[in-house]
Amino acid sequence: MTTDYEPRIVGFLCRWCSYPGADLAGTSRLTYPPALRTIRVPCSGRVDPLFVLKAFQEGADGVMVLGCHPGDCHYMEGNYHARRRYALMHRLLEYIGIEKERLLVAWVSAAEGRRFAQVTTEFTAQVQELGPWGRGGEGETRRGGEWGREVS
Amino acid sequence: MGEGSELIDKIRAKARELLQGGRVDCFIGYEEGSRGRARPAFIYDPQDAERLIWDERCAHNLVVYLHQFKSPLRRGEEPPRVGILVKPCDSRSLNILFREEQIERERVYVVGVTCDGVRTNGRPQERCRRCAERVPLVYDIVMGGVPNVLGRDDYADVAKLEQMSPRERLAFWAKEFDRCIRCYACRQACPACYCFECVAEQLDPAWMGIAIDLPQKQFFHAMRAYHLAGRCSGCSACEEACPMGIPLSLLNRKVAREVEALFGYKAGQDAETPPPLATFKKEEQLPM
Amino acid sequence: MQVTTREHLTAWLDGLAGHMTLIAPKTVEQRVLYRPVADSSEIAFDFARTDLPVKEHFLPPTDVLLSIEKGKEGVRLEEPSLEGERTVFGLRPCDARALRVLDALFLKEPADPYYAERREKTTLVGLACREMGEQCFCTSLGLAPDEAGDVDVMLTEMEEGGGEGEKGRGGEGRRRYAVQVMTEKGEAILGALNLDKVEGAMPVAAVGSKTPVLEAGEWPRLFERAYWARLADRCLSCRLCTYVCPTCRCFDVRDYEVPCEGASSGGASNGSAPGGHIERLRAWDSCMAEGYRRIAGGHNPRLTKGDRLRNRFYCKFCYYPQDYGPIACVGCGRCIAMCPVNVDVVEVLADVATL
Repeated sequence: MTTDYEPRIVGFLCRWCSYPGADLAGTSRLTYPPALRTIRVPCSGRVDPLFVLKAFQEGADGVMVLGCHPGDCHYMEGNYHARRRYALMHRLLEYIGIEKERLLVAWVSAAEGRRFAQVTTEFTAQVQELGPWGRGGEGETRRGGEWGREVS
Repeated sequence: MGEGSELIDKIRAKARELLQGGRVDCFIGYEEGSRGRARPAFIYDPQDAERLIWDERCAHNLVVYLHQFKSPLRRGEEPPRVGILVKPCDSRSLNILFREEQIERERVYVVGVTCDGVRTNGRPQERCRRCAERVPLVYDIVMGGVPNVLGRDDYADVAKLEQMSPRERLAFWAKEFDRCIRCYACRQACPACYCFECVAEQLDPAWMGIAIDLPQKQFFHAMRAYHLAGRCSGCSACEEACPMGIPLSLLNRKVAREVEALFGYKAGQDAETPPPLATFKKEEQLPM
Repeated sequence: MQVTTREHLTAWLDGLAGHMTLIAPKTVEQRVLYRPVADSSEIAFDFARTDLPVKEHFLPPTDVLLSIEKGKEGVRLEEPSLEGERTVFGLRPCDARALRVLDALFLKEPADPYYAERREKTTLVGLACREMGEQCFCTSLGLAPDEAGDVDVMLTEMEEGGGEGEKGRGGEGRRRYAVQVMTEKGEAILGALNLDKVEGAMPVAAVGSKTPVLEAGEWPRLFERAYWARLADRCLSCRLCTYVCPTCRCFDVRDYEVPCEGASSGGASNGSAPGGHIERLRAWDSCMAEGYRRIAGGHNPRLTKGDRLRNRFYCKFCYYPQDYGPIACVGCGRCIAMCPVNVDVVEVLADVATL
């Protein structure tokens, strides 16, 4: 499994905590690898586990779900639900062959620009180590069979 | 199983009574099918109660049919009331549907029947070996003898898969899903899969493509397993319906086991406990 | 008649596999499916009926119809082409007849080019059935388990003389097959196959009893009967029957964007046009699905399971023969074997004859 590739990471960031946290990392001129593609959602509780599966299917090598710290959710309960969902999702992913280290669920507040940069940097390195999963990797997200040949 | 023909007579008599008394509009049970098979039966007329049978060929989970009785049979009427024969595994599905408020308890008359296991073509089904519940968990009346056999699920097959490396597991599931033809028999046979429009068939947003290829199939099965988290009764109707012999219970039981380990919840034990993914405990520490 | 042995057959098949795609029955996790094989050792010679029909190689579950690429030179459309010739070995007469049934639609002008090309580039080597299976009813539809007219070469297993029942490699190798060359295409492919001329009669398959099949014109008067709704009570409205059926052929077509290969493939970006290309996919669809006939605006003329199940039988035994000629059923019995709730077409035909 090659580790010489550019990982593609999709991050679901909540609008109230982790997205401003990422913003703060930017305005503070903190550096972190450019592998992350961010998608802003209102709350980590909005992140349907299908988003995670879909991200992997579309070519992501790693997925991050970042939300407010438990107790600080703007919608009171969203991240509690997310916490349960993703505890389970990790185990399901692992079982179907996606290493659980490819999904990171973490709590990053709006004031934690430094933490955001650190979490992203560490996760990117981890995904780099694991090798590609999406396009061209183990996940075979590209439909099998060459152009013109049948898929059986 | 049970008292044989005496039990069948009791079931028929009960169905006849319910229909004659207008307590139910339809009784769902089993009847003799073609080629030595049993199949689901829908009795609307008390005289047809004679068609009902009960033996070890009666493997289907009939609870799935309750979804088609949610609407009135004729315009302007109330939704029909239904009588249904349930085995212990089916009764778990019933509890799940009651809990999720899909079916009103008062509209269903539940005839529970004890069970020592069902067979397919004379061969005992795997899931029966693992079954620890031989008496239905919910019923209006229960019939049948004291069950003899008590099984146990040691999750040995799940554990075997867990011991593989992620890459080996990916290859395992790729090999299994290769045969999948996306016929959705698994989904349609499942009492817990009742969405009007399944994510797999939605065009807007298009979660999945129409292609019958490995990426779509991986997505579908992973998605369905996740959607059944805390809702799967372990009845194995999906696995039995699959024309390609894909070991779906290997996937669903893993999820059920994790739900039990993480949240201490087993689906279908009652109709009151809130589902684990609809609730939370503020202080809980979960491995992330 | 001409005969050959299993040993010669396998040698010939190995030769074929060497220079073209050979598709043959193969055991895949307790199922037997028509699959491309690398050599004859992968072939399951002793099988009753494959679990999926051969149609998946003529009308694949997923088919790329077109590739649309936008580049500097403008828009480029590319149609895929089947690479090279193929031989299908071990085709049962019912599956072979099913191809004729599909031909009536797909080769009717304007012909479906993808299907047509596959048909043209494929030689069919059939394997006659010695007897009818428990769920088979091909004879009720005017077919026979040893019908040779729909293939290019027909092989028929001969009875073992003396009944020694030799198992083991040597024994298997001596199993004999009668060989009938049916078409020029068949003649061309036989090539190096070792044939002996022997005296004797062609083996004849054992047939079972027939079930009455109502004529197409008689079906419309039964359309409003309550029978169909009652039958469909237990139907799960999955798609199983239509997918395992050798003559069912409905499909859906949608376009999908395929991004260009990125840098994730373990190397530098391959420099192809940014923006990727679009593929037009055709995939199996089923009239049994609830949303199959739903139209824009939400109206669904086949809203209930009864409507859809009725349509399935009418399509096969009434509409298709009226529109295209053949009955869209070959009596293979797969739907009977696999329907989880025992919707049995033979039973339905018997019921319909007396409705």
